[in-house]
Amino acid sequence: MKQENIRVFSIIAHIDHGKSTLADRILEKTGALTDRNIKAQVLDSMDLERERGITIKLNNASLKYKYNNEEYFLNLIDTPGHVDFSYEVSRSLAACDGAILLIDAVQGIEAQTLSNYYLALENNLTIIPVINKIDLPNADIDSIKKEIIDTLGFKEEDIILTSAKTGEGIDRLLEEIILKVPYPKGNINNKLQALIFDSYFDPYKGVILLIRVVNGVINQGDKIRLMSTNAVYDIIELGLHTPNIESKQKLQTGEIGYICASIKSISDVKVGDTIIHSNDSITKPLIKLKEIKPMVFSGIYPLESNKYNDLKDALDKLKLNDASLTFEPEVSTALGFGYRCGFLGMLHMDVIEERIEREYKIDIIATSPNVIYKLFLTDNTEQMIENPSKMPDRQKIQKIEEPYVKTSIFVPNIYIGDVMKLCQKKRGIYINMDYIDEKRVNIHYEMPLAEIVYDFFDKLKSFTKGYASFDYEISDYKVSNLVKLDILLNGEIIDALSMIMHADLAYNRGRQVVENLKKLIPRQLFEVPVQAVIGQRVIARENIKAVRKDVLAKCYGGDITRKRKLLEKQKEGKKRMKRVGNVDVPQEAFLSILNVDEN
Amino acid sequence: MLMKTNIDAVYIHIPFCNKICNYCDFSKLYYNSTYVNKYLIALSKEIDKYYKYEKINTIYIGGGTPSCLSIIELKKLFKIVNKIHLYKDYEYTFECNLEDITEDKLKLLYKNKVNRLSIGVQSLNKNILKKLGRSLYSKRYLKQKIKLAKSIGFKNINIDLMFGINNCNSILKDIKYITKLNINHISVYSLIIEPHTKFYNNNESNIDQDIESKLYAKIVELLNNNNYIQYEISNFCKKGYECKHNIKYWNNDKYYGFGLSSHGYIYNYRYENTKSITSYIDGKYRLSKTIINKKIDIENYIMLNLRKIEGININEFNKKYNIDFEKKYNIEYLLKNKYLIKEKDNVKINKKYLYISNKILADILYNELDN
Repeated sequence: MKQENIRVFSIIAHIDHGKSTLADRILEKTGALTDRNIKAQVLDSMDLERERGITIKLNNASLKYKYNNEEYFLNLIDTPGHVDFSYEVSRSLAACDGAILLIDAVQGIEAQTLSNYYLALENNLTIIPVINKIDLPNADIDSIKKEIIDTLGFKEEDIILTSAKTGEGIDRLLEEIILKVPYPKGNINNKLQALIFDSYFDPYKGVILLIRVVNGVINQGDKIRLMSTNAVYDIIELGLHTPNIESKQKLQTGEIGYICASIKSISDVKVGDTIIHSNDSITKPLIKLKEIKPMVFSGIYPLESNKYNDLKDALDKLKLNDASLTFEPEVSTALGFGYRCGFLGMLHMDVIEERIEREYKIDIIATSPNVIYKLFLTDNTEQMIENPSKMPDRQKIQKIEEPYVKTSIFVPNIYIGDVMKLCQKKRGIYINMDYIDEKRVNIHYEMPLAEIVYDFFDKLKSFTKGYASFDYEISDYKVSNLVKLDILLNGEIIDALSMIMHADLAYNRGRQVVENLKKLIPRQLFEVPVQAVIGQRVIARENIKAVRKDVLAKCYGGDITRKRKLLEKQKEGKKRMKRVGNVDVPQEAFLSILNVDEN
Repeated sequence: MLMKTNIDAVYIHIPFCNKICNYCDFSKLYYNSTYVNKYLIALSKEIDKYYKYEKINTIYIGGGTPSCLSIIELKKLFKIVNKIHLYKDYEYTFECNLEDITEDKLKLLYKNKVNRLSIGVQSLNKNILKKLGRSLYSKRYLKQKIKLAKSIGFKNINIDLMFGINNCNSILKDIKYITKLNINHISVYSLIIEPHTKFYNNNESNIDQDIESKLYAKIVELLNNNNYIQYEISNFCKKGYECKHNIKYWNNDKYYGFGLSSHGYIYNYRYENTKSITSYIDGKYRLSKTIINKKIDIENYIMLNLRKIEGININEFNKKYNIDFEKKYNIEYLLKNKYLIKEKDNVKINKKYLYISNKILADILYNELDN
């Protein structure tokens, strides 16, 4: 294929603006898909993605398309559409020359429209603004056009109108891609340089790398070197995703394809790394690698202790495909053996937890999520704490810092008051506010990540009747007046319920958690005190009364089946509980911290 | 032909009633002479089919209301039951309703070897009787009937009482009155609201567990003070008057159950008879059979024996099942906190905690030491 006839682009959009449907339509138009093998939204290959309507792992497709009697190769790189995965978005954009910025004809510009737009600008991409869903009866094309012109600085004639659902405007869009997106600029005669923009694990072939050949040619059998690790591998197989796998002999400058090189573990590969031939002496990588660090942590424990090894197995397998997932063994007195897992964000956590339960069929208890704290100790050392129960004594701590984020909250201006109220309550520091148009604003706050992890997104949605859209980026660590709140059951600290939180919020939350636990924990053989404690100080206490009646009065006429049924019920009940210091604690209790409503 | 089967107890169910109580979920139907006749024929056939002529120690005829049958029907019934061979020191209980107790019927029972009456009184409080959907009777009426029964020769009489219907303490008054009648066995059951009862359908609920458990404690105390020995969660008697038949259930012993919806435990299985009168009359007796393997048998053994005040004899248990009870079950903290008491070779539930026996039982059975 002539280099001049290759195009590499992404679709970027706010969640639910129709990205995956558009990708399907493009695949269909280019003949890559016939109706029969369309399983709605092919690029979203995981069931969970399809169910949630979100793309988690990006994928790509190389598509042939005829325009003016010339054959073109359109390479579409799909990107995940959620805030947790912005690093994945940025590295897949690094492999592109252009981006379709997709905007919903009813919703207009939203928080992630803007953050994705900036990412595309940073990567010097040619951006094609597209208003999608124009078939909707309440589509407001004129005012959305105005928004795009005013906010993003495009000209009216730049804007393409499509309906991914009906297929309207797709040909026009493909034409625009061919005309406006520049072809890949590299030199086929230079030494090999290829960019890894994604990887995944194939159970038969091992790790598969998705790459863009920026300069030179890569052949089957070549010895390659990954620049960041200097590890050398042999290329066993390479080829294209059309989107089906099509094996080839070589990939050359400008082409997007996959390679397998008998790499065993996905952790051996860093996405964003540069591939060169093993003997070449290139020293400058294509882009600078960024280490992605998990921001949200949670303890994951099997509900049944004999499933511990299965859980490890599941995490190992998930990690094969997801380098950003971290985990290490942890022991809780309350929950037994489990893992402390690190995630990019809340969605990432939800997805992993759900996959463990659904794909690996392991019932788990997850402790309430927390962020990673930076402790400055009195002996002038620093310590990072990712598990609240590991926090040292108060006397040993000089100060504690917690991570802050900068938020973009897009909201109709009638909700400004509500949003500000919520942000203040969540310890937000107001930065500024931009008007997108006369009716919508973008509000910026600096806010502790811990508050976002806690329940901010749900609250934001309910405060704004679902109208707000939200995005954030990590800013830095700031000193906070934080305390560790412990929960005691029957006088014993339940380590899995310990939390680190701001001192001003601790009393209320402690009170609420104690009340929730009282409701959730059934009456036991003996009276069980439930206490919330900061250091030595008890800030809340409730008693769960001892059970007074649990008896079958009569075993009538030799019918023992009722009694057996009752016992079976208790047995089942016990299975769903964790026994902590002779107290049977139901699974929900460990999540009760999350259901604290401060109002 | 005599076979050795270890079965020496028989329960016979008579499902007919003149009146259906609001709390009752046992198998029962309104009295109807045509059905009674057909039923007795089927019952006779069922006994012929399964009974292997063992010598029997205890017979219990329950219901429903067995006493609601007419004299002629009762004669037919006894003709059937008399096929059963009895040991010399047998116990033979017959359940009666107060209003069915007539001289003629009692004489007939006595003549046919019945030596124990179990009378369903439930309450002597008019409001409670009304709520339960039972006939109203006075204390004097009860006194007369007891006197009659004794005059005919019944020495062994039980009275069933019920509490927890409302917050009223009338049960204590009832007990005080009954103890004066020189009755040697009293069963006191708390109301259980079961599905398929009028109570259940009317969304009635139990009284608060704190109130109910206190009332239970008072009942136990009152009966103890009047020389009634508690030998099971709900059963009290004068010395030597324990119900031998029920003790067989709680010992996890074998027994035949004949009649509609009866349960039995014979050979290596437990069974339940059909609940449908038409099926039963057609001779389709069995509804289900459950093979009792060692694991289930052990659970049943523990569950049933712990109903008794004397509890489980560990030596017997260990010998019977070839298991060390105290090693197999993690009862250390139950003993330490006195939920369970160990006395000589017996482990039993502390009387104070009988009213939460299910919970204790679940802790014994399902907090096994981690394997």
